[in-house]
Amino acid sequence: MPEITYCMKLKLILVNILFALSVFGQDKFTISGYIKDAKNGEALIGATVSKKGTGIGASANEYGFFALTLPKGEQTILVSIIGYKTFEFTVTLDKNINKTFELGEEGKELDEVIITGEAEDKNIKSVEMSTVKLDIKQINKIPALFGEVDIVRAIQLLPGVTTVGEGASGFNVRGGNIDQNLILLDEAPVYNSSHLFGFFSVFNPDAVKDVKLIKGGIPAQYGGRVSSILDVRMKEGNNKKLAVTGGIGTIFSRLSIEAPLIKNKASFIIAGRRSYIDALVKPFVKSTNPIKNASFYFYDLTAKFNYRINDKNTVFASSYFGRDVFGSDVFKFNWGNTTATARWNHIFNSKLFMNLTGIYSNYDYLLEFKLPQLKQSFVWTSKIINYSFKPDFSYFLNSKNTIRFGAQALLYDFRPYDATGQFAAGSKVKFLADKRYGIEYSAYLSNEHKVLPRLTLEYGVRVSMYTFIGKGKAFTFRDTVANEPLPLSETKNYSNGQLIKAYVNPEPRFAANYVINQFSSVKASYNRMAQYLQLISNTAASTPLDVYTIATNNLKPLIADQGSVGYFRNFKDNMYEASVEVYYKYLQNQLDYVDNADLFINPTVESQLLQGLGRAYGSEFYVKKAKGKLQGWISYTLSKTERLVRGISNDNWFYSRYDRTHVLNTSVNYDISKRWNLSANFVFLSGTPATFPNSKIQVQGLSIPYNTDGIRNNYRITPYHRLDFGATYDFKKNETRKYKQKIVISVYNVYNRRNAYSIYFRAKEGSPTATEAVRFSVIGSFVPAITYNFNF
Amino acid sequence: MKKIIKLSIIPFFILLLSSCNDVIQIKLDEGSKLYVIDAFVNDLRTLQTIKVTTSDNYFSNKEAPPVTNANVVLKDITTNTQYTFTYTSKGNYTYSLTTTDTISKPNHQYQINVTIDGNTYTSLVVTQKRAAILDSISAIYNNGQGINIGGEKDTYSCLLFARDLGGPIPDYYWVRTYRNDTLFNGPSDINTCIDGTGGAVNNPPKDTIFFTPPTTFMGGETYLLNQTCKVEIYSVSRETYFFLIQALAQINNGGLFATTPENVKTNIITPAGIKPKAVGWFNMASVVTKTKNIL
Repeated sequence: MPEITYCMKLKLILVNILFALSVFGQDKFTISGYIKDAKNGEALIGATVSKKGTGIGASANEYGFFALTLPKGEQTILVSIIGYKTFEFTVTLDKNINKTFELGEEGKELDEVIITGEAEDKNIKSVEMSTVKLDIKQINKIPALFGEVDIVRAIQLLPGVTTVGEGASGFNVRGGNIDQNLILLDEAPVYNSSHLFGFFSVFNPDAVKDVKLIKGGIPAQYGGRVSSILDVRMKEGNNKKLAVTGGIGTIFSRLSIEAPLIKNKASFIIAGRRSYIDALVKPFVKSTNPIKNASFYFYDLTAKFNYRINDKNTVFASSYFGRDVFGSDVFKFNWGNTTATARWNHIFNSKLFMNLTGIYSNYDYLLEFKLPQLKQSFVWTSKIINYSFKPDFSYFLNSKNTIRFGAQALLYDFRPYDATGQFAAGSKVKFLADKRYGIEYSAYLSNEHKVLPRLTLEYGVRVSMYTFIGKGKAFTFRDTVANEPLPLSETKNYSNGQLIKAYVNPEPRFAANYVINQFSSVKASYNRMAQYLQLISNTAASTPLDVYTIATNNLKPLIADQGSVGYFRNFKDNMYEASVEVYYKYLQNQLDYVDNADLFINPTVESQLLQGLGRAYGSEFYVKKAKGKLQGWISYTLSKTERLVRGISNDNWFYSRYDRTHVLNTSVNYDISKRWNLSANFVFLSGTPATFPNSKIQVQGLSIPYNTDGIRNNYRITPYHRLDFGATYDFKKNETRKYKQKIVISVYNVYNRRNAYSIYFRAKEGSPTATEAVRFSVIGSFVPAITYNFNF
Repeated sequence: MKKIIKLSIIPFFILLLSSCNDVIQIKLDEGSKLYVIDAFVNDLRTLQTIKVTTSDNYFSNKEAPPVTNANVVLKDITTNTQYTFTYTSKGNYTYSLTTTDTISKPNHQYQINVTIDGNTYTSLVVTQKRAAILDSISAIYNNGQGINIGGEKDTYSCLLFARDLGGPIPDYYWVRTYRNDTLFNGPSDINTCIDGTGGAVNNPPKDTIFFTPPTTFMGGETYLLNQTCKVEIYSVSRETYFFLIQALAQINNGGLFATTPENVKTNIITPAGIKPKAVGWFNMASVVTKTKNIL
């Protein structure tokens, strides 16, 4: 691994230089520390610390840590974040200072507080672009399907984010496939972000603190997926007092408990959900109905613990466990994720912050058919396991440069399938795929550099190296005509840890912000991303049975280059934030499938895969009102997503399945009074492309649709549009009581539209030769819901 | 596989959501004409049929337009014997068998030639596969429960007791089930398997392997008292197995997990430059069959 060694060396040298630099020039001192919420001790990610009246400042990192170096002498400093009162204080800097700041929420009285408007223009001043942060309070106000707040559904209201339809797992970002999003729950990758196929996400909103979606200008500390990063951070747990939050809804109920273990030092949160639609339905189902004995539910448990050992050391441990279960007497199907993260935050000195993370992530499913009385069964399991180790450093060199560097090693342990068939006792047949192993190594270095008062650059590089290793088999295939499975020519066995194939990708990252004036800026970014695993799925929506495959000697890593340019402008004293962004993305080695691909229980699944090119481009318009009684946003995206794969669609570019030309998203909420809040969404999306037949052929009495032109996605289904309403009522007693209650009423799909998920063609019932076109709508009517929420 | 997923999702959608399928009217372009050759020949001592038709407008409610002037010849390459099929009606070309012999024999190689208007369309060479062993069909009273989806009370489900011949070569089967001589031929009734189970067996034993669920459920159909359940296990080629899977996927390609629509493959070769093109499928099958009277 020469690259890694080289990177490590480079880093060591760099760290030495940085330490050396910080020793010199004692006419400057650093103020550093954590910024936290005064109410519950939660770290405030992205809070800013600045020197009053200047553009000099620093942002708190993912752990709420910041450092700001200023000249010796008296300094007036502001600590601020949207939604909180700004904290202003004056210090005499004659030595390095370490301090924890606690900010109170707006509208509540706290000592030493002055309200100012700082940080509301962060969208203008920050170098970040194509990035949206949603705080959980904001997400809570969006009218939701079945009245259940959901993070993944909420981000689908943002520009550049779409889905193939309701109930589809995952989301598509700027023309990327669902497996191109790195979904992180406290830094652990989540492989299947959905419950109930795709109606809900695995994230329990009660346990989530902060959600950030990065669509472009992806910083160097992130890698491994090409389209976006969804960084979900869990709450640390209230370290001041016991807090209980819960809700009773139509589909499921939630409960979370957080409390200090040692006040201000150690706390935990534990949150759980369980759906109960099966239990609710049972009394209404006849005993003869096979659904009677069917189970279909999900549950999840999210827990986190943190302990602040001292000013310099904090440790965190967090975990998620969730499962979806479907089944009946003869059939069982369940799947779920398990993640665990252990972290250590260490402050070396006032400028150097380290986070060390160990990660475990597992996704597995089980499928079983059984007839116990006859001892007949067929059981099939599949697993992906990840182990990862990741040191990350933030070095706050001076008020102009913030350097980040770090590394990651990630082991993929794939068990594509392990199936056992049994006919009678003792007569078992095994179908076992070889395990597959890969290791992804990466190292990065980046600098956020305030070159001029108006110009900030963020430049860096991530170097990733991937090795496909034994123990296992590597297959070699012969070439054949395009769009046919590749014939196997050679199978080679490799021993434990033996290198089969390696890939190295330097991934440059760049972002720039030029502030035109107080209210506007221009930003640009470029990033290259490499991805070493892809989801094998040729269905419209990904199913829980889809398996990932890692890059192999046959399957090359996915590479994407993306450039974007944006203009950001705030109006009326930052009351309105507006932006226009254009992007262009080019993908190499995008996965596609030969016709009639055999993707299940196939040891040589690589022979069924094609790799081609992808391109996506578009423009996103976004206006947000962030203050006042009426808040919300409206966004419009005009975009195009295409693919080019040899052997498909006559070797021409064709629209991808998730191409949506026009997308309009509106989400607003209005505080009528102290107790009533109203909200609404309206969305309009162009119909997705679809392949329609132009004739049919009859074989063995079956009418099979046929397209003599061979063009893929030659039609488009009808557009999707929907209006939702929501109303939240805060009980009057809330003002005086500790026990607070809320009722959320929502109506999804108010005007009862049957939006097409797909248009398909089938044989008419009872007459296999006659055929018809059918519009399939996942949600065929309006869906009212009521949820009761409480906390104390 | 799609069927498994569908089965698991059906209750969820019925109860939880008002998901719906509405028949709609849309206008489709009309494709160019294709000849369609439907040649599934087997070793049963019954009348053997090869059907030659043309493709049709997708929404046509008529039977496939027949081709009446074709010359259809089946060749046993192994024995160098030719069987000429004669036209009867509706695009059917048939061959009558003597009671003592069959056209098709395991491990023989076959090919068909279909000549229409002077152009000869030839199939790829197909080898007939060995037959499975069909022991019995067993009927189980459902007692108002079990794998029946029909909801009828006094129903029986049938289970297939069959074996695959073992050894390293995967065997591909098409299990066809009848209720009172009516073939279950809806798209969800196509029951195919490899080695009688969910996939090719690793290091299979030399002796026979029993068929396992879900294949042994025979599509999960139910029967009433005094009805008969007939099953035929067709040993098909690997290519035919995948053709059936593909056809099945295309015929009723709806729902959340629809696959990308694609044209089914063909093993009929159209000579270069000749139009119309011919599509369709040719297979020679060894068949084992049993009938169970539900008593």
